[in-house]
Parts: sequence; structure tokens; C-alpha cells
Amino acid sequence: MTARALLRTVGVTAVVLVVQFTLGLDVTVGGAHPDLMLLLAVAAGVAGGPAEGAVVGFVAGMAADLLLPTPFGLSALVGCLVGFGVGYATGSTTRDEWWLAAAVALVASAAGVLLFAALGAVVGEGQFFKVDLLAVVVVVSVVNALLAPPAVRLFSRVLQAPSVDGARASAAGGRW
Amino acid sequence: MLVLVSVTVISLDESGRTHGLTSGVKSVATDVFSPLRSGVDDILRPVGDLFAGAIHYGSLEEENHKLQAEIGALRQQVAEAPYQSRQRRQLEQLLQAAKLPTVASVPTVEAETIAEDPSDFTDTITLDKGRDQGVTVTDPVIGAGGLVGRVVQASHDTATVLLITAGQSEVGVTFGSPTQYATAQGEGVGHPMSGEFISPSVPVSVGEKLYTNGLAGAAFPKGIPVAAVTAVRTVPGAADKTVHLRPLADLDTLAYVLVLQWSPAP
Repeated sequence: MTARALLRTVGVTAVVLVVQFTLGLDVTVGGAHPDLMLLLAVAAGVAGGPAEGAVVGFVAGMAADLLLPTPFGLSALVGCLVGFGVGYATGSTTRDEWWLAAAVALVASAAGVLLFAALGAVVGEGQFFKVDLLAVVVVVSVVNALLAPPAVRLFSRVLQAPSVDGARASAAGGRW
Repeated sequence: MLVLVSVTVISLDESGRTHGLTSGVKSVATDVFSPLRSGVDDILRPVGDLFAGAIHYGSLEEENHKLQAEIGALRQQVAEAPYQSRQRRQLEQLLQAAKLPTVASVPTVEAETIAEDPSDFTDTITLDKGRDQGVTVTDPVIGAGGLVGRVVQASHDTATVLLITAGQSEVGVTFGSPTQYATAQGEGVGHPMSGEFISPSVPVSVGEKLYTNGLAGAAFPKGIPVAAVTAVRTVPGAADKTVHLRPLADLDTLAYVLVLQWSPAP
């Protein structure tokens, strides 16, 4: 990832962080909120591949950790793993149908929520399994699936790097 | 590499070696974010309400029918807004709580709830008072009816309170005569609390109230109402009774609270 792409990632993360912790907290379904920070990791993984997904997931997760009362670094670890996993899993496909991004976001977001609960339990926060995980999984997955197509498009631009001759070329080798 | 960094940060934070540093970083981030959130909130709140209204359209429609049916009856009653009435009741109950013997001798900070759970995995509220007003981490918080929780994070102007219903929360309690000791354990958002370590031979009845025990090293001063027993079950062969509890403070509609400037004995 280029320095410019990283700067753009930080900018997008800051904007999404504000939306997540203002507008996002007002949207509650079944006691659960959407998780737009996890969406960033998924979108970057789809648009850029495993390395970009991991970096964006880490940055977004660390930003969320600053404002969450959960263990510091836990969201960063989950974001990193989800971003990498999504990038790795979608690495062999060049199809860019919107529904594929939505499907990937649906599955990856569910996995991210469960991973957060499981890793939380590993570091001594076993009570994470006491929450209504089904509601959290459903809300986070569905919202992220709906927002995934535009988010992937956004990250295709965010992660773009200028080529040597000045023309724009995708850092992800033209994926998505 | 990033995984390694994350794991290192988590393990250092959890081990307590850098907890001061990470909570300091979180505090700075909250200080920076609070005014930003407040400003953006003012702009985005109407949009959020629109989304929330769209999502809850079905229940809103049902609620609307109920409200319309109630309008006729309400016209006959004294014209007093229910919200103001609830606020007043909470304040009156809060004043009663402030008169508790153990609370009356402790300096307090009045605070207002400004936000609820930022995470789906914890049960917290955010107060409009922070370190600048004398609120510190571990301070107990009481509300109308009883114990609310304790401060787990404090920035300059805000504080995060872990509610007693959170899965991470454990409160040492006492009840009955002769005095019995137990632990009121939070079971997470939307679940009743549970009474732990209550032997099958110990008499406990539905409606019985539990109070903080204030034992040495306890996180809360003695004598604050915590919860009431809502169900008791004795499973044959089990080491403890299964006891369900309901917090005495109405945690769903908390508007005002008192932060006790009290620290556990070292």
C-alpha cells in the first residue's frame, strides 16, 4: 500500500468512525448496532486483496478500539484477520457482480462478530458470549451486506496507486 | 506483523502493565472525539431518527394506534407530560438514595446520561461529567432506586459507567437475617442478573432485596440497594440455588445519577 493510499484510508476511516459513533449508535435493531468499521476491513479485502485488507482492518479496528470499552487492540486484531481472510478468499476471482461483494460481506461480517466474541473469551472476556450473538450477527451482517457494493467501489478508488507513467492503475491489479 | 502488534497490545492491556497507558490514550481520544461527536450529532441526529423510524416502522405504527386510543383518557387527566413526571420521580428517588447512611457521608457528583452502549458486547452508559468534575475510574454510581454500576473510563468531561447488568459486573451483596453473603452477577444486555454462591440451605424468597456488602476490598460502599429476587429454583444435587435478580435502579430509563467519590480500601 502506498503512503497516499494509507493517508486516504486514514481519512475514510476517520469519517466512518464519526458516522459509526453518532448515526450508527442511533440505529439499534434487536439491541444490536451496525458495525461499519468491520465493513471497511471487508471492503478493503475485496477491493485490494489480503495485504490491503489486513492494513485497513487494523487501522479501522484500532480507531474503534479508542472509543470502545472493550479490550484495547481486540477490534484491530479482528479487523486485521477479517480483512486478510476476505482478501485471501476472494483473491482468485475477478468477477465484480455487486451481489458477490454483498455475499462476501454477509459471511465475513458474521465471522468477524463470532471471532470478536471468541477472541474476547480467550483474553478473559467470556461474558461476550452472554450477549444476544444471533441479533448482533444478523444486524452487522445484513447492514454490511447492503452497504458492501458501494464500499467496495469506494475502496477500489482509495487503494488506487498512480503508475510510473502517471496513469492510474489499481494497486489491486485491477480487481473489482 | 499487524496480528503480532494487535496481540501484543491486547496482552499488555489485559495484563495491566500498560493499562494506564492504553486508558490514557482512550481518554485522549474521547476528549478529542466528544466535541466532534456532539457537533456531528446535532447535524446527523435528524437523519438517524429518520433511519430509526424507517426500521421500526411496524412497531411505530402499532404504537401509534395505542397512543391514539390513549389520547381520550389522557385528556381527562392533569396536563402533565409523562416524561417530565418520570424525570421528577427519578430525581426524587435519587435524592432518597443520596440519604442512604453510607452515601450521605461520601462526596458526590451529579451527572446526566448522554449516551448508551457504543458496543454490542458491553452494557455501559456515558455520563456528562469526567475527571475535571472529580469523577475517577472505579467510582461507584447510583441512580433512582439503587446501584447503577462503576466508572470504568474517565476523560476530561465524560465518563463511561459499566452497568451492574453487564456480563463483566460482579457485586458482593448481603441479604436476609441472619446476614447471608452472595454475589450479584451481571448476565449481559437483556438478561436478568443472577445470585451466585447461595447455598440450597439458605432461605431466600422472591421480592427479597439485596444490598452491597461493603466487605474489605469491595468495589462498593456498604448498604446500597442492588437488586430484588425475581425467581428462586433449587436443583437437586446442585451446589448453589439458581436465583434470578432484577436491578432496583431502572437502568433502561436512566436520566440522572450520582457518582460517589469513593475508593475501595487498599
